Amino acid sequence: MAFSFSCSDFGDINVDPKSATAVPAETLFANATKNLADQMTSTSVNSNIFRLFAQTWTTTTYVDEPNYNLTTRDQPGTFWDTFYRDILKDLDETRKILMSTDDATILPAVRNNQFALIDILEVYSYHVLVDVFADVPYSQALDPDNVLPAYDDDAATYASIIAQLDQAIASISDGEESFGEFDLIYGGDMAAWVRFANSLKLRLAVRIASVDAGKAATMATQAVAGGVFSSNADNASFQYLASAPNTNPVWVALVQSGRQDFIPANTFVDVTNELEDPRRTAFFDDNLDDGVYAGGLYGQNSPYADYTHLGDVFNQPDTPGILLDYSEVEFLLAEASELGLIGTPADAEAHYNNAVTASFEFYGVAGVEAYLSKPEVAYATAAPTWQEKIAVQKWLSLFNRGFEAWVTYRKYGFPELTIAPVSMLPVPRRYTYPQDEPTVNGGSYSAGSSAIGGDELDSRVFWDVE
Amino acid sequence: MKLALLQQANSNKLKMRARHKGLLTLLLALVVQLSFAQEKTVTGTVTDQDGLPLPGVNILVQGTTNGTQTDFDGNYSIEASEGDELLFTYIGQADMAETVGASDTVNVQMQEDAQALDEVVVTALGIKREKQALGYATTEVQSDQVNTAKETNFINSLSGKVAGLDIKKSNTLGGSSNIILRGYTSITGNNQPLFVVDGTPISNDNTNSSSEVGQDTGRGGYDYGNAAMDINPEDIESINVLKGAAASNLYGNRAANGVIIITTKTGKRNKGLGVTINSGVNIANYDKDTFPVYQKEYGAGYGPYYSGPGGYFYEQDVDGDGVDDLTTVFTEDATFGAPFDPNLLVYQWDAFYPESPTYLQATPWVGAKNGPEQVFNTGYTLNTSVSVSAGGETGSFRLGYTNLDQTGIIPNGQLKRHTVDFNGSQDLSEKLTVGVKATFTKQDGKGRSGTGYDGRNIMQGFRQWNQANVDFAQQEDAYFATGRNVTWNYSGDPLTEDGRNPIFFNNPYFVLFENYQNDTRNRLFGNVNLNYEVNDWLNILGRASIDTYAELREGRLAVGSIEVPQYTRFNNSYQETNFDLLFNYDFDLTEKLSLDGVLGATTRKQRIENILATTTGGLVVPKFYALSNTLDPLTPPAENLFNRKDYGFFANASFGYDRLIYLDLSGRYDISSTLPEDNNGFFYPAISTSFVFSQLINADWLTFGKLRANYAEVGNSTDPYRTIDTYFSPTNFTVPFFSVSGQKNNNNLVNELTKSYEVGLEMSFAQKRLGFDVAYYKTETTDQIFPVAVSRATGFSTTVVNSGQVDNKGIEASLFVSPIKTEEFEWTVNATWAKNKNEVVSLFTNVATGEEVTNLQTGSVQGGITINATVGQPYGTIQGSNFTFLNGERVIDPDTGFFVVDDSQQVIGDINPEWKGGLTNTLRYKDLSLSFLIDVQKGGDVFSLDTWYGYATGIYDVTAGLNELGNPKRDPVSEGGGVLLEGVNPDGSTNTTRGSMEDFFNALGYQRTPNAAHVYDASYVKLREVTLSYKFPDRLTKNLPINNITLSAVGRNLWIIDKNTPYTDPEAGLSSGNIQGNQSGAFPSQKEYGFNLRFDF
Repeated sequence: MAFSFSCSDFGDINVDPKSATAVPAETLFANATKNLADQMTSTSVNSNIFRLFAQTWTTTTYVDEPNYNLTTRDQPGTFWDTFYRDILKDLDETRKILMSTDDATILPAVRNNQFALIDILEVYSYHVLVDVFADVPYSQALDPDNVLPAYDDDAATYASIIAQLDQAIASISDGEESFGEFDLIYGGDMAAWVRFANSLKLRLAVRIASVDAGKAATMATQAVAGGVFSSNADNASFQYLASAPNTNPVWVALVQSGRQDFIPANTFVDVTNELEDPRRTAFFDDNLDDGVYAGGLYGQNSPYADYTHLGDVFNQPDTPGILLDYSEVEFLLAEASELGLIGTPADAEAHYNNAVTASFEFYGVAGVEAYLSKPEVAYATAAPTWQEKIAVQKWLSLFNRGFEAWVTYRKYGFPELTIAPVSMLPVPRRYTYPQDEPTVNGGSYSAGSSAIGGDELDSRVFWDVE
Repeated sequence: MKLALLQQANSNKLKMRARHKGLLTLLLALVVQLSFAQEKTVTGTVTDQDGLPLPGVNILVQGTTNGTQTDFDGNYSIEASEGDELLFTYIGQADMAETVGASDTVNVQMQEDAQALDEVVVTALGIKREKQALGYATTEVQSDQVNTAKETNFINSLSGKVAGLDIKKSNTLGGSSNIILRGYTSITGNNQPLFVVDGTPISNDNTNSSSEVGQDTGRGGYDYGNAAMDINPEDIESINVLKGAAASNLYGNRAANGVIIITTKTGKRNKGLGVTINSGVNIANYDKDTFPVYQKEYGAGYGPYYSGPGGYFYEQDVDGDGVDDLTTVFTEDATFGAPFDPNLLVYQWDAFYPESPTYLQATPWVGAKNGPEQVFNTGYTLNTSVSVSAGGETGSFRLGYTNLDQTGIIPNGQLKRHTVDFNGSQDLSEKLTVGVKATFTKQDGKGRSGTGYDGRNIMQGFRQWNQANVDFAQQEDAYFATGRNVTWNYSGDPLTEDGRNPIFFNNPYFVLFENYQNDTRNRLFGNVNLNYEVNDWLNILGRASIDTYAELREGRLAVGSIEVPQYTRFNNSYQETNFDLLFNYDFDLTEKLSLDGVLGATTRKQRIENILATTTGGLVVPKFYALSNTLDPLTPPAENLFNRKDYGFFANASFGYDRLIYLDLSGRYDISSTLPEDNNGFFYPAISTSFVFSQLINADWLTFGKLRANYAEVGNSTDPYRTIDTYFSPTNFTVPFFSVSGQKNNNNLVNELTKSYEVGLEMSFAQKRLGFDVAYYKTETTDQIFPVAVSRATGFSTTVVNSGQVDNKGIEASLFVSPIKTEEFEWTVNATWAKNKNEVVSLFTNVATGEEVTNLQTGSVQGGITINATVGQPYGTIQGSNFTFLNGERVIDPDTGFFVVDDSQQVIGDINPEWKGGLTNTLRYKDLSLSFLIDVQKGGDVFSLDTWYGYATGIYDVTAGLNELGNPKRDPVSEGGGVLLEGVNPDGSTNTTRGSMEDFFNALGYQRTPNAAHVYDASYVKLREVTLSYKFPDRLTKNLPINNITLSAVGRNLWIIDKNTPYTDPEAGLSSGNIQGNQSGAFPSQKEYGFNLRFDF
């Protein structure tokens, strides 16, 4: 049978009329930024349970997560999916659109600034992925033609993103614009981005000091020379809004949900009680008797009413989310000094004091001088080793920043954290890979797992040396 | 051989053949007789060639509209004049004419007609064919099979009646039924067959996942049913199931999963006016066998974590005497607490709301008198139909109205449906006939049951999280006394108002009466057709069909709920139009060689449009449900608009030789808008043959024998918008946001293709007292177009591939026998059996590396379970964590007595049943008949999130009681408690360590067991249907204004004779679709009993 038939009358019928096929690049950049902020800020039991890993917080009734059960809710899957699909892919697409748009009215310097911002957030994202999982897809990632992307060596990925970060810092033109109001972190302030990039570089330097002190020293020196955060005003923070659905995710978990899942953990509260840490008034609620703070038993059923609740600042919808702050930078400088990356160990005390002071300032708490003069806090006397001194105070200041607090514990082994009481597991050294990677990317998953010594909670990221 | 089109009156003879025999014929409307003078009453008896009386023979006074039928005893009586000719017709018998003489008695013995032996069935495109000419399998189901023991969703009535048809009903009010014919063929696409009503293709969509995110994966939402349930069983004349590609080839790409053709009732020509009334009432009760058996020894708590005696209570000074009193651990939704003790007085939830009769009173610590089953009511369904039909010489019509009014077993649940059905035809000239078919339905639902792991599904709490001390009759009283959400699950200090807010669970009555949904769907489907008989070998049919509906679904979360208060509305409209032009031809090439067939073209246009809007951040004014009542600025609603257009051209030629051998050739060419524009056409052929070997064998024992074989292909396109990449827009922040779509589309798509072959043998013996039909088939579906879940490291969730092969092969058999057949007593048995074996042969190739992908995940459900298609495995394997095995035995940790869990994803189940069967027995004694159907499924697996969590929270009976030593399981292992799991220690020795049952972290719950421990065999044997009917003899109704009175008592789903799923119905699921094998907050099944009365006047 032969039919001659014109099919051209279909026209645009197969083009989805309710989804855009072309969009402004900056809308993707802004969306990626918010997803990054959400993911780092969140305390969702379905994705980010690092506050539990760091034992700063615990849960009341459902204690699977503080016992490091990652299979029931597949937190690694959600975390990974968000980074690759909702952050890195949108950053990558922003770049692709910018590169394919030939707009003569946009100065090359502005374009370069835009590319630099994309680079910085990409570096941030990949370093978090590596810190959380170890080997992850990098060189073959974000390519829909390769649905079986190989996992790259974690150290190699670090090397590559460090180079990318250097290149980004070098390409920034201070006085020029970038994404304007679509830059939800600094509103287009390029000098602020340079400080953020250098502070991030400092963080990476301290991370790798355990495996490549020489490179770390170079990086730290360059970062400080380039200018890192010098006050809380420099913080890389994300300002949430007061109304749903653009609120701080912690407010969603603590307040909007009506649930009572999270409370400060005894592991944390006990330390602050011993130190009579003035930040307790900010960190905690005074729901028990005045001045009485009792942390939930880490990893055990802890009736909400019996224990201290989280402080007021965590119960506000518009509390900012933090990607990197001044207090952390000063701790990093203290660590870098002790490690000999920059300056000398003698410089550490000042940075330590600055760091603690910055934390007090951030939480709006007075009395930092008296606190710093306590023998258990004062840098000279606080603990036998600098690692313990810094790690404990850094961990205290990272009360609400689980990821970085957990990293601090992994690096220094302090403060001493407890074995999870039900599962009897120690603090994980990483997230296991997402549950569906073996089913959707089996070969790469197997190779990646064996490269890191098995897809286990106690396999270590390259900088996490025993 | 003759060929005709649906709704087309060709010749009297064919119409007679199209009629149905047996009981149905007797139930059809009786003629209002027109009487004239000089007439007399002629009576007589009609018998068959063996002298047995023939009931249901049609008798017509030639040249008039005066007709009647014989009764059960073959007797008739008709007014006629001397010289009139009486025409006797009966299917399977040669027509006979007798002239009325002087005698008032005309007895007739009819003879079997080999020519007319075979039935006429409706095939693709509404073409009527003699069954013996078909080279493929079809199964016809008559109206009484679906409209005596009625289901709200008529599809459920087909369970066990059609070999190869796998139906899984949901137990919720108005819920969907999953329908699979000859196995799953499409990896992620639609696997449901096409429904066609009188030539109009009908949407069977289920939009559960588009209106409620992830309803089918168990993440909450309502089951709104599958759209084919709008078909009213009362209007169905017959259902014909076309199973293979050869049968459905002419329907084209959308019929790749088979076709269910429904022919509705119509008026008969020359029949006069008939009115039929049918009224039925059904009552339904939940089946206890499919509901948890609760332990009644221990109350609230997760373990000994609290203050109070044994660590099981909160302590608070309730009465103000300065001494702490015991209160329940309100915040906890588990039942690993204190053993009940009537002497222990505890302030429980009912002591803290002022309207309570036990306000501020401590009450004995005892198990609930009324457990969660308190919530079930008796449901009832009223079904009333009136139909009028009439036929003259040049036209006929039937107009039916049905009212369905269903009250669910859950309070506040209601489903109402009105159906108006019109079917008519009129000759405009000798050659031109116009036909109109239209069905209008209006369905209103309210208070459907929530599904899955969601607070709106009260079963979530009842099956997974509960306190054994909570009396749900008191919960009911508390809600009705206050109108508030007085929960058992307080969040804090119960003496404060804030503290009495619920923490995890609302009062279930508050959920049912405040957080209810409602929905409405108005639908029109039907067609207008014109048939022109050009000459005696050619006629032309033009047909315009439409199926259109608009629906609205509104959801609520009231102020006072745990959840953020919310109002949601989903507006959906669906429209499909089809235009068909068919040239039908029919020649006798020689005396023995005939040729007939069809040439035609069709266009299809479909448009689906919906919008989902939800308030943001809460509601301002309680009990006011409007988008304007949003607390925070409204986020933009989600909009969808799907358009598609398809053209099809088809041709068919059927050669017949001497009623002995038939050869049928067909082909179809489709053009689809959903494929890339430069490559959107595709052709596929079919060939089938049948050999009626009984024509060559002249033996008394052999009534009929036919061998059939076919090979066919069916092409398929895909869903709209899979060729061009797009962005989606997340909720805006201070600036607008866009994001790359999670799906990577593919602009190189080509059509899918299903190839199938089939052989079959059909035989009947001893004047059709015994017969069977067996078929063997194999289908291969290749080049599948589907979005495949990929590693998100690609930046996408899914990518559209055009690859992969799934094979299905199977055997279907049906058998009928009537062991006893006398004038007064008849016993017939019908059996069906089908086994389908499914295998994923290949998936797709990774473009970048050339590597073959061997597994893909088609669904992921809570609890860490995935549903998968894996190369070399059946489609739909359940993967999850497993036991560790040593020499085939489960390994148990000798230190804890718990299973050693293997966390790697392993195949732990298969959603496909091994085989299904049905056995119907019908016993008739005079005017009384009894029929019952036993429905059997062997194999198939289901994962239960209910026992996964529920065993951990200590709800079920197995978590308490005594162990093998006779000690309470819940005692510490050190004191002889715990359970001894069967298995071996890693060294191979038999396990002797008892696992603890003291708390939440016990040996049976989810923390200590692999997913595999909660996968159950879904086999069942069910007494599906029982019908007892009595037709009042005509002699009793002679003087009444009404006749053909039939009274039936019916029962459905009365008894699950055997099953292996504890506490649940193995069939219970979440929704129709490809994600099966998962139970989460499952509804119990319902036993239904009812009465049905039908009569004509």
